[in-house]
Amino acid sequence: MKPYYAVLYDSFQESVRSKVLWILLAAWTLILAALFPLSFSRGESYAFTFADIENPRLVLDNLANASAGKGTRAQKAVFAKLDEEFKSILVQRQANKRRIFTGLLTDAFNKLLTNKELYDKEAWPNADRRKDMKPLIENENRSAAELEQLNRGLINLAFPGSIRAATGQATWITYAGIKLGGAIPLSERLLKGVIESGFIPLVMRFGLGIGAMIVAIIITSSMIPDMFQTGSLHLLLSKPLSRNLLFLTKFLGGCIFVAFNIIYLLVGLYLYAGTRLDIWNTGILWCIPIFIFTFMIFYSVSALVGLIWKNPIICVVITALFAGVCVCVGLIHFYFDLFLHVVPQTQRIYAVNDTVLLTTQQGRVQIWDEQSKAWKSAYGDVDGQKVMGLVWLENEKAIYFARPRFNPFGMGGNQNAKLEFARTPELADPSDKTFSSKIWEDSRMDSGPELPSDPIQIFRWKDSLAILSESGVFRFNPAGAAQAEERKAALGGLSWLGNIGATSALPGEAFVQMTDKNWKLPKPLDVSASPSFQYLLTYSNGKVCRWKSDGDKLIQETEIELDLPAETVASIGTSDKNCIVCPNGMKPILIDVETMEIRRKLDEMGELTVKQIVADNSGSLVLLSTEGTIWKYEPGTDKATKPSLVGQGNAHAVSFASDGQLWVAHSFKKADLWDLAESTSKRSLRPKSSIAELIFTYGISPFYEVNPKPAAVYDTISYVLENPKNKTLAVNRADLEAATIKTDPWKPIWTNSLFIAVLLTLSCWYLSRQDL
Amino acid sequence: MQSSATAIDVSDLSKTYREGLVFRKIHNALSHVSLSVKRGEVFGLLGPNGAGKTTLIKVLLGILHPNQGSATVLDLPAGSKSARRKIGYLPENLVFPRHHTGRSALYFYGRLSEMNDSQIQARESELWKIVGLKGREHEPVRRYSKGMRQRLGLAQAMLHDPDLMVFDEPTDGLDPMGRQEIRNVLDQLKERGKTVFLNSHILQEVELVCDRVAIMATGKLRGIGTIDELIESHPHASKSTVTVEAIGTMAQIQEATRDCAVRDFSVVLDGVEDATSVHRFVVDATDQANVDKVIDRLRNNSISIYRMQRYRASLEQVFMSIVGAANSPPSNTPNSNTPNLFK
Repeated sequence: MKPYYAVLYDSFQESVRSKVLWILLAAWTLILAALFPLSFSRGESYAFTFADIENPRLVLDNLANASAGKGTRAQKAVFAKLDEEFKSILVQRQANKRRIFTGLLTDAFNKLLTNKELYDKEAWPNADRRKDMKPLIENENRSAAELEQLNRGLINLAFPGSIRAATGQATWITYAGIKLGGAIPLSERLLKGVIESGFIPLVMRFGLGIGAMIVAIIITSSMIPDMFQTGSLHLLLSKPLSRNLLFLTKFLGGCIFVAFNIIYLLVGLYLYAGTRLDIWNTGILWCIPIFIFTFMIFYSVSALVGLIWKNPIICVVITALFAGVCVCVGLIHFYFDLFLHVVPQTQRIYAVNDTVLLTTQQGRVQIWDEQSKAWKSAYGDVDGQKVMGLVWLENEKAIYFARPRFNPFGMGGNQNAKLEFARTPELADPSDKTFSSKIWEDSRMDSGPELPSDPIQIFRWKDSLAILSESGVFRFNPAGAAQAEERKAALGGLSWLGNIGATSALPGEAFVQMTDKNWKLPKPLDVSASPSFQYLLTYSNGKVCRWKSDGDKLIQETEIELDLPAETVASIGTSDKNCIVCPNGMKPILIDVETMEIRRKLDEMGELTVKQIVADNSGSLVLLSTEGTIWKYEPGTDKATKPSLVGQGNAHAVSFASDGQLWVAHSFKKADLWDLAESTSKRSLRPKSSIAELIFTYGISPFYEVNPKPAAVYDTISYVLENPKNKTLAVNRADLEAATIKTDPWKPIWTNSLFIAVLLTLSCWYLSRQDL
Repeated sequence: MQSSATAIDVSDLSKTYREGLVFRKIHNALSHVSLSVKRGEVFGLLGPNGAGKTTLIKVLLGILHPNQGSATVLDLPAGSKSARRKIGYLPENLVFPRHHTGRSALYFYGRLSEMNDSQIQARESELWKIVGLKGREHEPVRRYSKGMRQRLGLAQAMLHDPDLMVFDEPTDGLDPMGRQEIRNVLDQLKERGKTVFLNSHILQEVELVCDRVAIMATGKLRGIGTIDELIESHPHASKSTVTVEAIGTMAQIQEATRDCAVRDFSVVLDGVEDATSVHRFVVDATDQANVDKVIDRLRNNSISIYRMQRYRASLEQVFMSIVGAANSPPSNTPNSNTPNLFK
């Protein structure tokens, strides 16, 4: 191999002496040097961010009322101190229906934070009794931070339930110590998570994956054509070298040159992320071989073109065309996949007697139509929202659900989410006037009561349903809701004046607060009711609480703190005896519900993220991971096992039917009813394929499979950066239920390896036959 | 130092180039070429541009694949790795990668010839001296003149002490001194029993150093043999004349040779026409008696004979004659113009 080492060494010497390497290294150094001062800092702040205003419409309505002399004294006091410009905008909003963005509102509130005259004893008569505010009010010589804290507290009190409480801590992006823009509504830990799982993959994909790849291809494009320089090649070929190995060595030389640059840049980025952002993500280092591999895909094309045409410009042009074709095929496949498999993916499955319903990721409720063998949208084609529920109430003979706007990672707030209820087809009665909307074909219930602020989950609770929100757990009161409906109907056309029915139903009519009014369970929050409704267990920010039903009230009995990092998102599920808490990307924890002691970690399940946990009356718990794997915990054997069933590994939703059988929604649109004891499917729902699905399955997908997929390697890069431990990027519980497409992150490596092998073989074959 | 063993054996070799995708043009670069080169001999390959000389060399080195025929080099299949291991090659218009110095280039090509650095180190000093680059080896090759690059090319070709050296225009770009040095190198190689396959345009050079010569034109072998054999086989080689230069007046000489078959009188040296002038004239030597008669007459008239030379055709004349005939249509029959030269 000595002569080939000499060729390799010579290629490297050539790049060193031609100064190209030094120019590139200087460029990377400059980029890293420019990046180095970029960091983030954490400090005390009570400023409003757009995420703090949970119900901006209500706040604006309250301010508008205050401008007309209505509303609370605190609201009037806040309005009085607002700057004149904002007041005039508010007037315009009333008159012209001009929309006010949340940013304007936060700006106006932030200006109030430094106002020394905001506090008014009459407007906030109880403020000086609050522990957190009393010292601030009594202190005459408040510092600037104390003034901000006081004013923030006063504004929060003026608009209860609409504005989040300030933590007093904020994060800023800084450059050389200078703050860039306002505070970011994320904690340092979450910001790091977003940078790690969002920003770094973005930089990798577009900065390095596309930008640096183009530079690399242009620079190396001349290497193979230069080999054919007259007078140089013939001398090389007169030596005892194999021309194929000579070509492969030259190819390898180009790869080593690029590898040297990638190593320099990525090690620099790794050190930058570690030292400046405290993100020591070894995934960045894993990207080194993956990027080199990506370059090899393109370079194999460039090398073959160089062999045939011996012209660097043609190499670059054809390589760019190749990339373009691959991107086009990839995009077509991506969009078909998105609209056929991601957007309509099953989120929840639910059965009401023989009627099977499912909710989709795009916010639709669909019912299985046995006649046409298809899922049919029911209750309105509402897209872009997230379905909470479904809950079937036998007494009411209605399915209940809600479709709040989905805010990934807690961005924004849930505004005006209403409880919707509808009949199943077999119960549909056109003459039913209980509710003001139609049923079945288009029966979206837009007349239901508005949910409590910031709803998180709707779940069955005894003979009714309950709603978990940040302000507590609320029981649905159908009778109260009906009264509110009647009052709304009486108002007739005046209902547009502003959610009168909904807001009036909130405290004691449609929803009855079961938890104490001082309930304070911070997000990430999840809840699970035991099948007998003896207990309710909540998970909140690392703590598990057991609540017991006492009439209409829930009383907190015990709580245990799990040894988890702060703000860990987890799902919780409980039977009457056992509770399982599944922290994001960690081993599930088994807790004894009676003693509230941790029994053990379910090591047999490994580290995973669980998005759904359902319990049946026998005490079995079924867990569904974000990877689509179903686990069953049997209290008898005290073991979690993977049952053998169709759709295992590709499941989207699970739920227990009333007879203890398990519904499994899997493989995008399929569903099976399983008797887990017998491991047999009792019912299979197999929808007919649509034309689009047939085109995708038999046309686009096979073509995509045989087509080289350099862009698919970026999925591998994203995987090593984001998901080395099956961890999902999640800020709230709802984020765990985002749509997932099960892909093998390493598949692009194998398929593209095959492509590289084919192209290099083709190049060698061409070269061996070529007269030079 | 020559042996009867063959260094190169080419048999019925043909190479055709095809150009164009739609309107295909066929060009016969080599057509049924057969020749053999003995070990230890310096063999010259002559021919005009496009004659197929470089194509033949490329086939011997395995750079081109022949369409027909076969070739062996040092009893090994031409183009095989083992054959190339024993060949030192100096290509025409050699280009060295610009990033090299003379020394780093020598090491690079040495390593490609499967030598280790200590072997190269042991050889380099002698080679720099031989090719005349001593003291200049650390300079970048991009600053080398064409002649210096050619010398470096020779050095790398000889570095691994190959049994066969294939030089394509080795004196190209060299000054007369350089050419002389190259000729000396070739002599040394010959003395050491190395086989040299020389492709050159410079006929005098070939005439001076080559043991045997082959002449190619339009892809065909037109002649092969020693220089003498080629000249002897030339159609005009049998032109029997003797050129005589004699000292005396024109009148004296013409009077002395009045009855003899002589012609083309001329004055060789400028000067006054007197008894010391040298005059040249041509004597018909078809009949040796005529030559004897002219000599006797001149001496009997006390005329001194300054010089006598029997006519001999030059290699250039042979070359021009063969190439000219090959290029003039029709020439369908291979080697038809020189039937007595070709085997």
